[in-house]
Amino acid sequence: MRALANFYREREPAILGGGFILSLILAWQSVPSLVSLPQGISLFFTTPVEVIKAFHQLVVQNQIQSHFYVSAVEFIVGLALAILVGLPLGLVMGRSKILDAMLDPFVTAFNATPRLIFLPLLILWFGIGIWSKITIVFVGAVFPLLINTYEGVKNVDRVLVNVVRSFGANEWQTMKTVVLPNSVPYIVVGLRLAIGRALLGVVVGEFFAASRGLGYMIANAATNYKVDVVFVGVTIFMGLSLILTYFVKKLESRLSRWRPETAKNF
Amino acid sequence: MVPCIQASDVTLTFRPKDREAVTAINGLTLEVARGEFVSIVGPSGCGKSTFLNVLLGLLKPDKGEIQLNGKRISGPGEERAMVFQEFGLLPWRTVLANVELGLELKGVAADTRRKRARGLIELVGLTAFENHYPHELSGGMKQRVGLARALVTEPEVLLMDEPFAALDAQTRDLMQTELLQIWDRAKKTVIFVTHSIEEAAYLSDRVVIMSARPGKVKEVLRIGLPRPREYEMRLSPGFNEIKSRIWSTLKEELVTRIGGDGAQR
Ligand SMILES: Nc1ncnc2c1ncn2[C@@H]1O[C@H](COP(=O)(O)OP(=O)(O)OP(=O)(O)O)[C@@H](O)[C@H]1O
Ligand SMILES: [Mg+2]
Repeated sequence: MRALANFYREREPAILGGGFILSLILAWQSVPSLVSLPQGISLFFTTPVEVIKAFHQLVVQNQIQSHFYVSAVEFIVGLALAILVGLPLGLVMGRSKILDAMLDPFVTAFNATPRLIFLPLLILWFGIGIWSKITIVFVGAVFPLLINTYEGVKNVDRVLVNVVRSFGANEWQTMKTVVLPNSVPYIVVGLRLAIGRALLGVVVGEFFAASRGLGYMIANAATNYKVDVVFVGVTIFMGLSLILTYFVKKLESRLSRWRPETAKNF
Repeated sequence: MVPCIQASDVTLTFRPKDREAVTAINGLTLEVARGEFVSIVGPSGCGKSTFLNVLLGLLKPDKGEIQLNGKRISGPGEERAMVFQEFGLLPWRTVLANVELGLELKGVAADTRRKRARGLIELVGLTAFENHYPHELSGGMKQRVGLARALVTEPEVLLMDEPFAALDAQTRDLMQTELLQIWDRAKKTVIFVTHSIEEAAYLSDRVVIMSARPGKVKEVLRIGLPRPREYEMRLSPGFNEIKSRIWSTLKEELVTRIGGDGAQR
């Protein structure tokens, strides 16, 4: 008895959180056996067991894998391009008055506009294949990365810049030893936002115009009233978002080992 | 003999955007001999830090120049190093990596600079902490790191901007003693900015008193106390007299500043 109480106390949040989700799933599962649903509703209703069955079916048919692969490529390539462009551009814009003045109106205008507006145009230009999705992921993710990196550069401690300059550091060395490390927490925030925008780009892009991908799978299933398949897709996206959030957290705590504990969770 | 440092008629005006220009120093002239320990005191805002930054080569004067060993200073150089007021340690670097900074930027090979840095960390008594991050250190320890970092490139001139201002009284006394020992052994030229008259008198060969902004040299006092300095000297009547002489000169400037700050601009 005592051991059981201890076991509970040590894992209280996990037990409560997991228990709540489990009971919701059980309640959901038992709805059809408790109430008889009118036909109009039961057509759009599904149960967890059905969802799992559908998932299994899709895996056996190799469907999930191929849709997942397409979405993953769009997400990864788009985000990688956004990092490759946004990060260096944020750094140089933060350091160079000339580039800042030149690019600022452009960046501000694009950032103020909901980027999904460009989707129809991108589909016209790049077709319904993966490249229209890669570009929409890119335009969504690049601005939060660029702007947060820029903020980080602008917030660099003047004294620390003077320290390295007094040792004869050139601009490149100043960037490497002070400006970049100082911007890391900002860049991580930018990355977190960028990941959210990138996922949104993949889903909406595939809803809108695609013949493959998880977003397409969801939209297509909904059109054909396959509610269980819709739930499979939604669950996969939830799982992916959780995993990505976890990795960003990991990255964050790894990169901020040097910070006092209290400042870690911003 | 050429003096180590020769500042002649140094004048510098800050011109910040959208704000009025401020002349921080105006016609500052000063000579410092090799191996000399000179302190600078003066009212807050009179341009002490500005002067050190010109010496360091981070700021260019509008008028006048500073020569180091007969050569005009035009930028940072390895003969000079600064110990910064709020330590200026890179928070994401360990003690060892902070001390290595100067050598790393000069492109010294990793094992050589590690060895040199370890030597200096030992000198300031922080060997047990070489892998700690700055936020894990006390104020006194941080400033020891700042000192080790400045010494690592073996500069001839050590510039110190209120290095002990953030420390408690006992740590400060301890650091002063350590600094004098290091100075005595390494024979560096030291320019030491402080707000503490006692500190200036105790450490220095000469104390420079600056006038209120725009700053220039108002008076230079030679401190005749014998070397090596002993803590007990601070209790002697002679020491008190030195202190009160510095204070009375400084007081005139503090009054000018408080009374005439608005009118000056
Ligand atoms: N980067 C800057 N831009 C504009 N004005 C500046 C700048 N740095 C210093 N000043 C001004 O120049 C004057 C001298 O500043 P400085 O920091 O040299 O004074 P200080 O003697 O070191 O003062 P304290 O004893 O308080 O440290 C001040 O009025 C300050 O406001
Ligand atoms: Mg100052």
